[in-house]
Amino acid sequence: MSSESSKKRKPKVIRSDGAPAEGKRNRSDTEQCLSPLAMILRPPQLCGTEGKYYSEEAEVDLRDPGRDYELYKYTCQELQRLMAEIQDLKSRGGKDVAIEIEERRIQSCVHFMTLKKLNRLAHIRLKKGRDQTHEAKQKVDAYHLQLQNLLYEVMHLQKEITKCLEFKSKHEEIDLVSLEEFYKEAPPDISKAEVTMGDPHQQTLARLDWELEQRKRLAEKYRECLSNKEKILKEIEVKKEYLSSLQPRLNSIMQASLPVQEYLFMPFDQAHKQYETARHLPPPLYVLFVQATAYGQACDKTLSVAIEGSVDEAKALFKPPEDSQDDESDSDAEEEQTTKRRRPTLGVQLDDKRKEMLKRHPLSVMLDLKCKDDSVLHLTFYYLMNLNIMTVKAKVTTAMELITPISAGDLLSPDSVLSCLYPGDHGKKTPNPANQYQFDKVGILTLSDYVLELGHPYLWVQKLGGLHFPKEQPQQTVIADHSLSASHMETTMKLLKTRVQSRLALHKQFASLEHGIVPVTSDCQYLFPAKVVSRLVKWVTVAHEDYMELHFTKDIVDAGLAGDTNLYYMALIERGTAKLQAAVVLNPGYSSIPPVFQLCLNWKGEKTNSNDDNIRAMEGEVNVCYKELCGPWPSHQLLTNQLQRLCVLLDVYLETESHDDSVEGPKEFPQEKMCLRLFRGPSRMKPFKYNHPQGFFSHR
Amino acid sequence: MERAVPLAVPLGQTEVFQALQRLHMTIFSQSVSPCGKFLAAGNNYGQIAIFSLSSALSSEAKEEILHFSLAHDGPVYSMVSTDRHLLSAGDGEVKAWLWAEMLKKGCKELWRRQPPYRTSLEVPEINALLLVPKENSLILAGGDCQLHTMDLETGTFTRVLRGHTDYIHCLALRERSPEVLSGGEDGAVRLWDLRTAKEVQTIEVYKHEECSRPHNGRWIGCLATDSDWMVCGGGPALTLWHLRSSTPTTIFPIRAPQKHVTFYQDLILSAGQGRCVNQWQLSGELKAQVPGSSPGLLSLSLNQQPAAPECKVLTAAGNSCRVDVFTNLGYRAFSLSF
Repeated sequence: MSSESSKKRKPKVIRSDGAPAEGKRNRSDTEQCLSPLAMILRPPQLCGTEGKYYSEEAEVDLRDPGRDYELYKYTCQELQRLMAEIQDLKSRGGKDVAIEIEERRIQSCVHFMTLKKLNRLAHIRLKKGRDQTHEAKQKVDAYHLQLQNLLYEVMHLQKEITKCLEFKSKHEEIDLVSLEEFYKEAPPDISKAEVTMGDPHQQTLARLDWELEQRKRLAEKYRECLSNKEKILKEIEVKKEYLSSLQPRLNSIMQASLPVQEYLFMPFDQAHKQYETARHLPPPLYVLFVQATAYGQACDKTLSVAIEGSVDEAKALFKPPEDSQDDESDSDAEEEQTTKRRRPTLGVQLDDKRKEMLKRHPLSVMLDLKCKDDSVLHLTFYYLMNLNIMTVKAKVTTAMELITPISAGDLLSPDSVLSCLYPGDHGKKTPNPANQYQFDKVGILTLSDYVLELGHPYLWVQKLGGLHFPKEQPQQTVIADHSLSASHMETTMKLLKTRVQSRLALHKQFASLEHGIVPVTSDCQYLFPAKVVSRLVKWVTVAHEDYMELHFTKDIVDAGLAGDTNLYYMALIERGTAKLQAAVVLNPGYSSIPPVFQLCLNWKGEKTNSNDDNIRAMEGEVNVCYKELCGPWPSHQLLTNQLQRLCVLLDVYLETESHDDSVEGPKEFPQEKMCLRLFRGPSRMKPFKYNHPQGFFSHR
Repeated sequence: MERAVPLAVPLGQTEVFQALQRLHMTIFSQSVSPCGKFLAAGNNYGQIAIFSLSSALSSEAKEEILHFSLAHDGPVYSMVSTDRHLLSAGDGEVKAWLWAEMLKKGCKELWRRQPPYRTSLEVPEINALLLVPKENSLILAGGDCQLHTMDLETGTFTRVLRGHTDYIHCLALRERSPEVLSGGEDGAVRLWDLRTAKEVQTIEVYKHEECSRPHNGRWIGCLATDSDWMVCGGGPALTLWHLRSSTPTTIFPIRAPQKHVTFYQDLILSAGQGRCVNQWQLSGELKAQVPGSSPGLLSLSLNQQPAAPECKVLTAAGNSCRVDVFTNLGYRAFSLSF
């Protein structure tokens, strides 16, 4: 009963707690005010009518863990209260206390039972929870495994796809015809435009088909051409045989007709003989011979051509070319063996080799070029067989005997008369680049040591012989070319003539220059005033080295105008105490290339172009303004006119020199020339220009 | 060895002629373009060459000559530049060229004028040109011993200053007062007032014993002025004058006749016979002698155009076909060549 009451009291306490207690009361109301204890002891299942067995495991599912917790808390509180009451009773003591204590003990036992039950339930719940977790975990594992399998499969598929994409077909390397060309040319049964237009795969296939087709056709064509070629070759063979059989027959006809020719005095007898000889000429000389003869006949009657030398030797040379070559190689081999044994003869052998290398062809071509004044230029052309170049020797003969002035020694010498006929062509170096290697073999340093003996290998000589040596290809095979020779024949012959004439003119002029007379021809007289006081007193040759060492010629040397092919002279012009030295460079191309003067005046100190502007101007007058001094064509008077002009210039220079007021006495050179003004311009030029009919001097 | 033989360069007729022409070339005048990047040079054959200073001074040092044209029949003795034109003179005529067109090929002159000469047998040359910016006119002087003033606006010759007894070598302008100095072959430096067109002062240099050198002659070849100071040289020694008192203050110890002189900062630059550009202190001390490539110099030109500070150089030309370029005053950097 008390338990009832206590049970009734309980909810009261709890009720004061608020909302959760209310819910509890409601439930207890619906469960017809069953005590919480009863609720525990009577599981809901059992509360129902049909419950066959009792299983706590099943009960767990039906019970609410929250309410179990409430129950647990309530039981603990009850227990605490009961304990406290027992303690209270015990401490109070009394008789009826024992009964009360007993009652309370029973109640406590019930509560302990409840606690035990709750404990069991909790254990079962825990176990259940663990089982559930484990189950879920296994499920997750299974899903994970599945996922991985799928991912792997995806990867594999992707790899396959890329492999497919990267596949290279052989047809991509084939260079197909372009698309438009394909549709234009391919037959419709291959191109199938309606199918292939939209489908690139089909299109490529069709193009490949077309390519195959075309290649098949070309292969067919190639085979045809080959057979065609065979056929033509055979034909050629047949024709060759026919021609070679023709030659001896023609020869026999020629032989048979000779007596007839002799009998009838045919006119080509003489010429034929020369042509017969010409057949034995080496190709370059032959070209020269033919072209020179042709030119002589057509354009220039003063040119005569002849062949010199022994025909038999030439024939002997021509016949066994192979044998001699064999001999050479044999002897080479022998030499290699014997050099060690016969050391002292090495020099002799080299000499022999050199001689062999520089050997001339036994035949040579003679050209005689007659000039207007009956002087003749004899040119002898040689061919050096082993060097494959041509050389020339020149000789000038004049109608009358010439007195040779000392300074004119070099003018007509065979060594220099033809030097630099074309600019830079000094004829001391071999024009065939291949020769250098040959020279290295036998120890020849330069061909120039041999030119006196062999003649000069001028470039124009090679050109007349039709030999062409391109600089870029030293090893190129050299062929004698008629057109090259023909294109150079006329200009060269004209140049040769002017060269000889200008040299002869110089020769004459030098004779009088050495005697201090500047010869001025009547048609050049207008260039100079009537009275020229300065006189030429000396005219000598100087060596190239001496010229280079003169202190006032540095500018010319620096400008590259003082090459060693030029001729060098020194003139001395005097008037009173003034001495004017003039160093002259005579280019072999005189008179188309003017002589160059450099001046040095000794008068009141030394004056050159570097310290006196007027000396510089005088040089300019003769060097730059030379064209007005050329005189009538072909301007052979240029050098003498320049010298005479220098005399005039010196007169002007000295006469216009400003008089120093501080010096007593009359001027050394009174002004005789008529001048408009003495000085002009910032550099105070003197009036060097001579005006012919009026006879006064003015500034340029 | 065959290839070791010394050979002359093969020269044909035209090459020889060109080499000789270059050898005897004299560059009389120079002028810098208003933009400061180009230099015009005139020589004794009447050719004017345009050099590009900027490309020559650039790091690549490219081809520096732009072109040259035959401008005059005779030598080109003098050139000046206005802000648009190049004026060149020599054989009695002054010609004007547009700078903008000079840089192209085949340029024709803009106009040409000849001062009214009292005709003689030969046409007198023009040795000096001088721009007077204040009145926009050009002064020409030379062979006829007179100074002609030309109005650049109309192209007419407005006045003639007579007084020299021989031909005139050089002119100089006094910046502040409108006065012009002229020096000539007669040995006198004359000072002209442009407003009154009268001669106001004459200094006969050769009469002063300190600077007279009779063996060289009396002629005044060059002069320059800076406020009250004037420096002149030629036959007489190079001398610094005080104009107001007309006394020589400094005589520069150089024997060779000088052909060009100019004030530069606190220095005097002079050039003449001899290879060197001389730099003088005002006190008469020789500060430096910088050798050039020509045996004699006739003109100096300082490029001080503010438009092209990178092209600030001194150029010197004379008895050769080369114009020496000095990037600083102490050293010849390179030469421009015709």
